[in-house]
Formats: sequence, structure tokens, C-alpha cells
Amino acid sequence: MAELLSWTDHRVFTGSGEALIFGVEEASLFSLNHKAHETLLKWRSTELIDLDKTPLPDQEMLQGLRDAQILLPATWQKVCPTPPKPGQVPLSTLVLEVAQDCNLRCTYCYAESGTYGAAPCLLDPDTARQAVHHLLDNSGDHKHVTLIFFGGEPLLNMQAIRAAVSEAILYGEKIDKQVHFSITTNGTLLDSEIVAFLHDNRVSVAVSLDGPGHIHDHNRPDEKGNGTYTEIVSRLGVLLKNSPVPVAARVTLTPDQWHAMTEVYDHLIGLGFHEVGIAPVSPVNKTLLATHVQQTALLKGFESLADRFVSTARKGLVLPFSNLLDLLARIHLGQTRAVSCGAGFGYMAVDAKGEFFPCHRLTGQADFNAGSLAEGINTDSITSCLDSLNNGRSQSCSKCWARSLCVGGCHYENHLRENQLGLPRGTSCNFIRSWLDLGIRTYAELRSDGAIAAMGQRLEQRAQC
Amino acid sequence: MKKKRPIQALNAKARAIQSLLDGEGKTVAALQQGPPAMPVGCTTIFDTGWETNPRPTYPVGNCQSSAKDFHGCAGDCWWPAQVPDGLTNHQDFDKQCPNVARDWRVLKYD
Repeated sequence: MAELLSWTDHRVFTGSGEALIFGVEEASLFSLNHKAHETLLKWRSTELIDLDKTPLPDQEMLQGLRDAQILLPATWQKVCPTPPKPGQVPLSTLVLEVAQDCNLRCTYCYAESGTYGAAPCLLDPDTARQAVHHLLDNSGDHKHVTLIFFGGEPLLNMQAIRAAVSEAILYGEKIDKQVHFSITTNGTLLDSEIVAFLHDNRVSVAVSLDGPGHIHDHNRPDEKGNGTYTEIVSRLGVLLKNSPVPVAARVTLTPDQWHAMTEVYDHLIGLGFHEVGIAPVSPVNKTLLATHVQQTALLKGFESLADRFVSTARKGLVLPFSNLLDLLARIHLGQTRAVSCGAGFGYMAVDAKGEFFPCHRLTGQADFNAGSLAEGINTDSITSCLDSLNNGRSQSCSKCWARSLCVGGCHYENHLRENQLGLPRGTSCNFIRSWLDLGIRTYAELRSDGAIAAMGQRLEQRAQC
Repeated sequence: MKKKRPIQALNAKARAIQSLLDGEGKTVAALQQGPPAMPVGCTTIFDTGWETNPRPTYPVGNCQSSAKDFHGCAGDCWWPAQVPDGLTNHQDFDKQCPNVARDWRVLKYD
């Protein structure tokens, strides 16, 4: 009996070069020559195709689409692997909220001045050591794990950081595992002693700096309301000089600043950062929700940096723009996921009191509490809080072409928008789709130039982080 | 130079999908093609429908699927099928029924 074929979910991208086709289920990306694209357009609205009955010239192209799994037997059903349960995934990353306190008063802080809604407190060094043991003891077969120092401002509690680092090295050596350290700091407390410690232990540092003084100072004043740009920049030299690992600038921009993205990027690279990542602010209150014009400006900013990424790649160099590098890495591999991120699945946060949360952003939210260092991780709590947050989401995502790359988006961002601001589902979907669209087009452009081949290994390593 | 496919894999996942086909292409080969070779072991022999009998025994040249399965599963070819023990107790069992499809009723063994 003849095999009847039907179309699997796909999206076609057209533009200046060859058309692209993205297989939604597998996140596979193919280019189509003119003839293949024409054949696709001709047959796309035919629900069931019998290859034996199609005219010969079309048959070859349709067979090619069959080989690419864009066409599959009508009886084909995707076999969905059972999604993992939180307890089944060994820990690979632990975020330590070493200081739930901060010396800055950033206008957009999601953690209520670093405290996460509680009285300011610091992580006890003993609890820090206990957390290190928990990470290493629950890391399964991982030979390398990551410990992230976070806050608030983590440098307010060097005592706990030092305790955690020395314990991680000692205990790691004992059980033949290596801990990689990372810290996100506002940079105001860096001094030569702290920098020496960070360099000695190869700590990856991300400094929260929002660009030139007039932008940064508006966003990130100190407790007295004074700007902090000059103070931070004066401390950067020693950090950037001879750093054994790349130092990144981590930028947050409010909607009214999105038009200035390239200016911000250039400024930070000019300061000597090895990599720059730019995040549009989370709308912690409704005044931070963007207008349509602002959203357009945000995409334009990303587009111009993507253009620059391509022209830099043509010279054999990599533009150190974190957002795009991360996205290209995922597209390069065609990485699909059963869950949107590692929160609760190998990635956990511990607050200053030793309580677990699925991610640093959800720290302090009682509904997301997932046990404690004393009692262990409560995997049932993780399952139930993420299930209740995502109840029915896969249904609403089921028609979206970006679902295998996005998988429902950031838990925190969804919680914030839907549960706290009362917005309907999907208010950030258009932006996410536009961003993924930009990534796919940029990837195809780099591919046609042969530039991806040169940076392939770097992207693969990045996707594993 | 290798001819560019009309549909070209760009990312690693797309290449993985196309490489599934490369594997597929090699898994099926007609036995009449290529240098004559005697495949070894049950799993590589499609006894059913194999037109020539490589063994110097009856039934020669038989392509009855039932007959081929029967002989293919006996003797030195171990297979846990219900066939006579041709190594020790019933060494000449095949002579009792030159045509298994026709003569299988004469086979009387425990």
C-alpha cells in the first residue's frame, strides 16, 4: 500500500538568501534551494501526499523533505520521552545567596534591595560549607560542578565565600571532582585583596554595570541615591588585568534605555570587559512594562549587534556578545528540551538561611520553597510548584513554532507577569519569537559564510554550560 | 566536487536527521549483488526467500519460506526453534523429507 505523507510542524524563513526551513519538533534547520522552496509552496496546503502519484520533478524535492523529516508518514506520532523528575537529575549548579543584603538601591531590583523580602542577613560560613557538601554529594557522575556566589551583593560576605571555596577545593579533591566558581557582583567592593582571591581561584566574575555613567547611575544608585559608575570603574582595572578567566559585564536596561543598546555594548567593551550580556529588565512593577515602540527599539538593538556579529565573524573573529553566543550555541546543536531551564533539574539555589529554591530568582518566595540543607531537597515541592505555574502551558504553546527552543520560557518571568502583575499568558511571547527568529537567520547567514565552522567547537562547549 | 543537495542540513540536528538515511541506505543489500559471500549466522541471513541453497543438503534450490526457515534453524546454526536436534540424535532428519513444505508430516521426532 502506498505510504501517505503529511507535513510535520515547521516554519519557513524567507529573506535575501536561500529560504530556510525549521523543523519544530527537532529544532532542525535546513536551507532550501529555489526549486525545493517552490515545491514546498506548491504542496504545502496538501494535507496527505502520496509520493508515487506526484510528478517526477516534485517527487525528488518532496523526497528530500521526507528525508529531512519535514514530511513524515501520516501515521507517525512523535514519541515523547518521559520528562525527567527533579530528583532524577543530579546537581550540576548551586547558587549560594551568600548575602541577602546590598549596598546599592537599583531601581529595578527584583530582590527588594537584595533581601528577597526578608530582614537583611548573611550566609553563615558553616552553612556555606554544608551547601558545598550537598552540591558535591548530589552531583551524580558529574566530574565538574559549578558554585555561584550571588546576592544581594555577595562581596558583603567574603567570609562565607572563602569558607565555601576552600571547602569545595578540599572536599572536591577528596572525591575527585572539580568545582568551578562564579560570582555576580556590583563591583563596588572590589579591592586588590579580593581580586587576588578571585584570580587565584579562577572565579568567573560578572560585574553588573549598565553602561556609561548617565545610564548606569540612573539605574544603580547607592543607599544615599548617589551614582556608582565612577566608583565601580575605578576598581575594574585590577580585576580585568591578567584575569585568568573572562570577566563579563552584565547589563540590565529599562525600556526607556533599549534604544541605547549598541552605545552600552561599545562602552563596556571599551572598558576592557571580555564579554557583554544585555538583559531587558524584568517588569517588577507595571511602570517597567514596555510599549510597542520600546519593544521595537529592543529588537533593533539586538539586530544591529547581530549584524555586527556577522561582519566580525567574516574577519575570523567572535564578537563577545553573550546573548547571541548562547542562542547560536543552542541553534547550532538543535538543542530541544523537556523543560525550559535547569531550575529544579540540576540547578538549585540556597538562600542565606540554608533553604532551597529552584532558582535564584525565586528565592524567598514561600510557594517555591523546596526544602533545606538540614532536610534535603524536597523534590515533590519542586514538581508541584512548577506544575502549578505551568499548568496548561504546554497546551497553549502547542501551536507555537518556537516551542522546542523556548519550552514555555522563564519560570520567574512567568510567575512575575501572570501571578504578581496579573497579566494574561503570553505577554513576552512575541519578543521571544522575534529573538529566536533573529538567531536562526543569523545562524544561517554565518553558516553560508562558513564562519560557523570556525566557531563550531566554541559554540558546542557553550551549549554544555 | 560533491553535488549540493537541494535541501541542505545547516545545524547539527539537521545533519543528524540526514545521517539516519545514510545508515538506512546500507542496511539492505540484495544477496545476488556484489562478490558471492556466505553470510554467517541467522540474523544476517534472510533465509526466507533466499533463492539458492548454499548447503549441500536437501531441499536444494528451495525457496519455500517454511522450508528455508526449518533448515536454517537446525544443525550448526543454533536457534531455539522447534526443529530436530540435527547434531546428535537426528543427523539425517532432512533426508526424511526432501521437500519440507510437502513432506513435513513424515518427520517424526521427539
